[in-house]
Amino acid sequence: MKRNTFYLLLGVIVIIEILVLAWSLENHIGPIVEISVLIGIIIAYVARRNVTDIIDDERTAKITEKAALKTFQIFWIVFFIFSTGALMNIIGPPQEPAISHYPHPPPPPMFPFPTPISIPPWRVFGFVQLLLLAMLIFLYVGFRIYYARKFGEWDTDEEQD
Amino acid sequence: MLANLGNGILMKNRIKVFRAMYDLTQENLASNLGVTRQTILAIEKGKYDPSLELAFRIARFFKVNVEEVFLFDETGDNMKLP
Repeated sequence: MKRNTFYLLLGVIVIIEILVLAWSLENHIGPIVEISVLIGIIIAYVARRNVTDIIDDERTAKITEKAALKTFQIFWIVFFIFSTGALMNIIGPPQEPAISHYPHPPPPPMFPFPTPISIPPWRVFGFVQLLLLAMLIFLYVGFRIYYARKFGEWDTDEEQD
Repeated sequence: MLANLGNGILMKNRIKVFRAMYDLTQENLASNLGVTRQTILAIEKGKYDPSLELAFRIARFFKVNVEEVFLFDETGDNMKLP
């Protein structure tokens, strides 16, 4: 398989994953997304092994290594802070219900964020986990772009078409 | 063709010269060495210092010693003894 065919396949997989995600959100079927992501990753992995062009060498390995290390160095700090806060919530004293200063019931929650009380704890956990995952991905992509640029990934010269 | 190693020491290389001598494109050289064209370009531009293994492979490919392709700039202040 050629390198460009592989990238094209990756694009198709991403589009399918987004469509599956939208469909499963609409129909409230969670496991479909999980299974489709797993299948997508397996297909991408198998396709990558069948690429005949050279797409990885020591420079790309160094870019990946440096980006991963920097991502880890920042992510563990954020994750540690979040986990410490979560731990304090678990083992800390029970919270007293907030005293309402309103002479009437508080206003309804602003759209689209419901009050935290209305969300089950496992959903809050899932949401925070998703935010952390998004942060991880953004950090990695950011560092990857930075180091790729530093090590001449997008440099051009007279031989370039 | 100068690569800053981060401590003020500069590495130079003559890959472009050798490519011209052998009439090779970056793509040809890259495929012969098993690396990407961008890696050859990055080395030539001094953006990336190859590993010792790749440096030797490049030198062997051109049938010269590694010192003839990669030059260590010893004129910098960092080379002075304490």
